[in-house]
Amino acid sequence: MAEKKDKYNFLKANEKEMLQSLGKEGLISALTQMLLIRNLELRAEAAYQQGKVGGFFHAYIGQEAIQTAAVNALGIQENWWITTYRCHALALLMGVDPNEIMAELYGKVTGNALGRGGSMHLYSDRLLGGFGIVGGHVPIAAGAAFQLKYSQEDGVAVCFLGDGAVVQGAFHESMNLASLWDLPLIVVVENNQWGMGTAVKRAVCVQPIAEHFAKGYGVESITFDGMSYLDSYNAFKTAQEYVKKHKRPVLMEAVTERFKGHSVSDPGLYRSKDELASVMKKDPIQRMKAWAEEQNYLTEEEFKALDKEQKDRVLAAMKFADESPDPDPKELEDDVFAPEGD
Amino acid sequence: MGMQEVELREALRQAIDEEMTRDDAVFVMGEEVAEYNGAYKVTKGMLDKWGEKRIIDTPISENGFAGLCIGAAATGLRPVVEFMSFNFSFVAFDQLVSNACKMYYMSGNRFRIPIVFRGPNGAAAQVSCQHSHCVEAIYGNLPGFIIIAPSNPYDAKGLLKAAIRSNNPVIFLENELDYGMKMEIPEEEYLVPIGKAKVVREGADVTLISHSRMLKFCHEAAETLKKKEGVSTEIIDLRTIKPLDIATIVKSVQKTSRVVLVEEGHIFAGVSAEIGFQIQEHCFDYLDAPMVRVCQRETPLPYAKDLERASQPNPERIIDALYQVLK
Repeated sequence: MAEKKDKYNFLKANEKEMLQSLGKEGLISALTQMLLIRNLELRAEAAYQQGKVGGFFHAYIGQEAIQTAAVNALGIQENWWITTYRCHALALLMGVDPNEIMAELYGKVTGNALGRGGSMHLYSDRLLGGFGIVGGHVPIAAGAAFQLKYSQEDGVAVCFLGDGAVVQGAFHESMNLASLWDLPLIVVVENNQWGMGTAVKRAVCVQPIAEHFAKGYGVESITFDGMSYLDSYNAFKTAQEYVKKHKRPVLMEAVTERFKGHSVSDPGLYRSKDELASVMKKDPIQRMKAWAEEQNYLTEEEFKALDKEQKDRVLAAMKFADESPDPDPKELEDDVFAPEGD
Repeated sequence: MGMQEVELREALRQAIDEEMTRDDAVFVMGEEVAEYNGAYKVTKGMLDKWGEKRIIDTPISENGFAGLCIGAAATGLRPVVEFMSFNFSFVAFDQLVSNACKMYYMSGNRFRIPIVFRGPNGAAAQVSCQHSHCVEAIYGNLPGFIIIAPSNPYDAKGLLKAAIRSNNPVIFLENELDYGMKMEIPEEEYLVPIGKAKVVREGADVTLISHSRMLKFCHEAAETLKKKEGVSTEIIDLRTIKPLDIATIVKSVQKTSRVVLVEEGHIFAGVSAEIGFQIQEHCFDYLDAPMVRVCQRETPLPYAKDLERASQPNPERIIDALYQVLK
């Protein structure tokens, strides 16, 4: 199979214009969000190693620019958000309190899902989850888009999935329905090159993914560098404008890298040290920092202070989680059914 | 009160139609439900009345449209999903198992899933095993589902209306061979409550417990035994399988002390196995004989007419079972 990366047709942002339109506040607040995500993932993983967090744990480290840009470009409220089990970042970006997220990871009653979901299942009033079955959430996202259209509401449903999910039948069926019925759906393939430990080229028969697949469904595709916040922001703005104007779904591909293993129990032996080192050079946070410094928005010291603020926020969340009570086993069987009545 | 004689399919249609009138969030989705008027004509005329926004044909894509409807339910709508056969729900199994029945609990009560999955369950007439499976034991194993299986047009209408109004996912099981069953039902609106079994024949000697199409065979068996032996059989129509109305069952078993359980589905880990065990838990001291089950035999359901009949419960097998517990 031909080498894939040189074949991408990236949608690039005009960096100068984008930096201008974001301004100091836009750039620094996005950097702050990304630092909060990074710090939460790092500390939570440490807590996992200490045995405070159980189950599966999938970090978003390396991919922060994508969802941060998506939420900032599209806005939260009128839209529906749906993602995979790698969901800590999106929950934070939805405005879920870090205390709630950490408490959920710790399995406490103060947790985001009352200690019932754990790391893979986080929610907000506009975030439908946190879904654990690869590809199984894409039809749910199509349903959220269906609701927006049925109820004649503005907004789009935004669905994130990994490169490993595009070969699932659920993805295919959802793309077909979304295109067939003109649903306001943005499907974002975050291609981090690996479906667990299987390289994307060993799993997907054609690449680039979005550019090829979109043609089969008769939808537009947008491929972009997911390591760049500016490119990501530009891509999501473009997608949103397209969906609103044409009332059609869009298939996006964010080419990205995850810096960690698939999950916390994955030592990543399938990737050489050199490979990982070259991947880490693309750190989206460092790129944000460089732009901010170029624009004289931020000094090295201010960056360190900003990072420490986020670290302290996460440490406070860990303290909150630690001190929170466990769920009461007496309430174990509550809420299997929603209350009846209007 | 005015009465009307309707077929079961018409009772179902009226239920959906009335609920669509009552609530704009209710819509119908499934294969051939609109332009074709329904594979079994349950949705006949509904496209003309409601239009394509609310009566929606799908491609043959159960995993896609079942999941889509779960997403629509989570975001505020009330889908009525038709599976042309409940055997096709297996293609959408992950959506039902991982999402529909788990999302409310797992999301810390954020997203309720008010959805009805309905369609024919179990065997029809010689369609072999891939179109004949009974799904109630499979879905019954999953906390979070309500499972309803009416045996007549009156219950079908009232229960389907209650199901559409429920805030929880409902598996609503019909039977292809029963769509033409006729019955007088009220013209006025009525509901049948979810979770209530019904004693449909009172008796003193033995309790016969069943649901859906098997009720017909139970009545035949009870009538035969009454004529031949003067046996007085009490019959319970479960109507709702889950949540199970164990109180109605216990009351009957305490009276008769003898039980036969009849289920169209397979015997291993079936609905009868569960009910039998619950009877044992509640009525151990009341039982005068071991309970007996009449279920589908442990093979994929074969095509040939005689084999199909021999595999399923039938009046003769039920009569044999009644003799066994009455010994």
